[in-house]
Amino acid sequence: MMSEDVLKESGRSGAFIVSAQKRKMQKLAKTAGESILLLIASFVAIVVLFIFYFVTVDAIPYFQLQGFREFFTSSNWYPAGDPGEFGALAIIYGSGMVTLGSTLLSVPMGIAAAICLSDILPFSVRQYAKPVIEMLAAIPSVAFGFFALVIFAPLLQTQGGPILMWAWWILAAPFLLLAVIVISDLLSAKIEDPKRRQQISMFLLVVFGVGALAFLYWVGSVLQGIEIITGTNALNVSIILSFMALPTIVSVSEDALQAVGRELREGSYALGATRAETIVKTILPAASSGILAAVILGVMRALGETMVVWMASGNSSHIPEPWFNYLEAIRTLTATIAGDMGEADQVTGSARYHVLFAMGLLLLVISFISNLVSERIVVRQRKILSGQ
Amino acid sequence: MNLGTRKILDRSFTAVGFGSIAVMGIALLIVLAPIIYNGIGSVFFTGTLEHRNMLFNEFGRGDKEELVKENAASEVYRKQIYGMLDAFEAELETMEPEKKQDYLSKYGPVRTALQTLIGPLPGEETAILTRYKYGQTRWEKAEEKLHEFLYEAKWDYSNPDVMAKEYFVSRAAEFEGTSLVKLFPYVEKHLPDVLRPRFTVYWGFLTDSSVDSHIFGGIWPEIQGTFFLAVGAMLFAFPLGVIAAVYFTEYAREGFFNSILRSANSTLAGVPSIVFGLFGLAFFINTLKVSESKSVLAGSLTLAIMILPTIIRAAEEAILSVPKTYKEASLSLGSTKWNTIMTVILPAALPGILTGGVISLGRAAGETAPIIFTAAVSVGSAIGLADVFSSPTPALSWNIYNLASEHEAAAEIRHVQYGMVLALVSIVLLLNLSAIFLRARISKKLKG
Repeated sequence: MMSEDVLKESGRSGAFIVSAQKRKMQKLAKTAGESILLLIASFVAIVVLFIFYFVTVDAIPYFQLQGFREFFTSSNWYPAGDPGEFGALAIIYGSGMVTLGSTLLSVPMGIAAAICLSDILPFSVRQYAKPVIEMLAAIPSVAFGFFALVIFAPLLQTQGGPILMWAWWILAAPFLLLAVIVISDLLSAKIEDPKRRQQISMFLLVVFGVGALAFLYWVGSVLQGIEIITGTNALNVSIILSFMALPTIVSVSEDALQAVGRELREGSYALGATRAETIVKTILPAASSGILAAVILGVMRALGETMVVWMASGNSSHIPEPWFNYLEAIRTLTATIAGDMGEADQVTGSARYHVLFAMGLLLLVISFISNLVSERIVVRQRKILSGQ
Repeated sequence: MNLGTRKILDRSFTAVGFGSIAVMGIALLIVLAPIIYNGIGSVFFTGTLEHRNMLFNEFGRGDKEELVKENAASEVYRKQIYGMLDAFEAELETMEPEKKQDYLSKYGPVRTALQTLIGPLPGEETAILTRYKYGQTRWEKAEEKLHEFLYEAKWDYSNPDVMAKEYFVSRAAEFEGTSLVKLFPYVEKHLPDVLRPRFTVYWGFLTDSSVDSHIFGGIWPEIQGTFFLAVGAMLFAFPLGVIAAVYFTEYAREGFFNSILRSANSTLAGVPSIVFGLFGLAFFINTLKVSESKSVLAGSLTLAIMILPTIIRAAEEAILSVPKTYKEASLSLGSTKWNTIMTVILPAALPGILTGGVISLGRAAGETAPIIFTAAVSVGSAIGLADVFSSPTPALSWNIYNLASEHEAAAEIRHVQYGMVLALVSIVLLLNLSAIFLRARISKKLKG
């Protein structure tokens, strides 16, 4: 505001020196300059419009030629056949599958890391943790894809069972241990006599601990027995994609957590809450919508990723048997576009060419909607927090 | 809940947070370590005489006299091997037809294996493809091929319930009772004398063009292509992005139109990269016809659109972080708004804007999906600067995919793939590290 006032004043003072005509010219030049600026700034909006327009224009002929039904309901993908079959259901399902898988892995980890960065780590450590995340975000997707295809897939194929077992032990053991402690504590809390309470608590701890160990061991041995037929499968891709989505989730949720003010934190501490309780019961609810926006952005990163899924998902268009089998090869929308265009661009104008644009349009619409949603959410959170 | 449990929960909560950050760091290490280790192996490795011969014949590098001497030394042992082959072939002629047929069918693979190991055998026609003109150029590959030469790989399908198992049969055992049986232990013992392995530093990997679709030679065309594409994208996107950021920060008034522009920006940032590729194909190539088919220009334009939102955001942040007092001081001295922006705000924000630019440059260099349909080809030589408007180029990111998944000898040239990945990753990470470094300096400076 202040700077504009200053400007106005300077303009007025100029009036005494410069003739009316020259002032008019100056004003004209200023308007012209500003409109050029505006034009360049609206370039982005024009580009977005163009993207929508040109992808849609090339997608429509497909629906004119083949209709909507086959695309969404059939899973027979034989674009090179005569006549070709264009059932994309399995491909859409594959996209959904790896997106869900990577979300399940990356969201808990990403939120935990974001909390750690914003509330737990001292500033000096945070300075070193942030570049790690930035570097993870910077590694080109094709390098991740190469890793997934050349290093991770053979490893999964030959050592799949043991890897799954170790992952299960490392991930599940700490959480089960915690659950055992909490449950035995909660169950014995009703008992009045402190000495007996401790005894019963210890007893419960041992009983549940042994149970949990048996459970861990049982699931572990089942996992170890699994033989993975192909290393290029949905699990491989989900794991790699989750690491690619992590940086987005971490940085956006960290911003959301930082946006929650000091007052809320201090209020909670003053009431005697521990740091964990403060975070879980006060800060996370306040930042929840921002974190949701982060999750949406992370999901979009996984859904829109091309190279990793193209190289390491196996590219086989079918719905796995049973439907949740992550150890089977799948095919995704992005990989199909990338892989089929090479053969289809010689037949420009055919259904085979335009179906790829239909897939692109589907991706574009999904990303557009989720972007709008996440943006709304962030705006709303900012309003709520600033209103308090 | 009693206090002890609450404390345990609190601690474990902290541990989970540390754990996830540790997982990220470990993931980074797990991904980078093999890439760096194997990638360095494409430049530093134990090269054989065949490698030096290849370099001399294809690129005209190396000491001729030294090579002649080495080849002569190798020839002594080669003569022995060739002699054994000749002796066996003569022996074959004396056998009964049936037995001869049987041995001949086994002898073919032996010759082929030997040829891949030490290079063309005398009496064969000169191969057309360069890959058949030389033996193994890398010692660790030669050792692999030696195993293939000594043992025949067979698959055990006897149990239909499990995957077929591979097992090895000694070739020497198959030729028991013939003169060829001596060949196998001889080759095994004297392979180092034939191939003369020596530690090699092959910087040419980065500066040579490829020979016979990356079987030999280096990756210069890809590095150059990546450079052209990324710099081209920056040439378009950087000025546009900075000007747009100036508009958003200094001129835009809050309102419906402005919020649409901002939404457009975040939408563009969220568009999947493959859709940019489709758009580039449909708009720049099929509609605008900036070039006949794929070209560096079309690829750069597509990449420019993709990195535009990042540049705008970074530039906006940089401009906003310039202290307000700078601007006010300038305006109070009677400078116009435009003058203030050009002489005070932009210079102060420049390091921040450059940081964003450097990060975007890295992103443009690493991205594959947008250039698949618009700029990338699998094989090709380095293009001149004049060709960027009309011809496509190989690029690191695309060729990593292509060599790893589509090349007919993908498993034979892992070292080239690793070398390419390492080159790409180090370009991108170096750009990012310099950005991080730059930003640390800025924040120090702003703190005073």
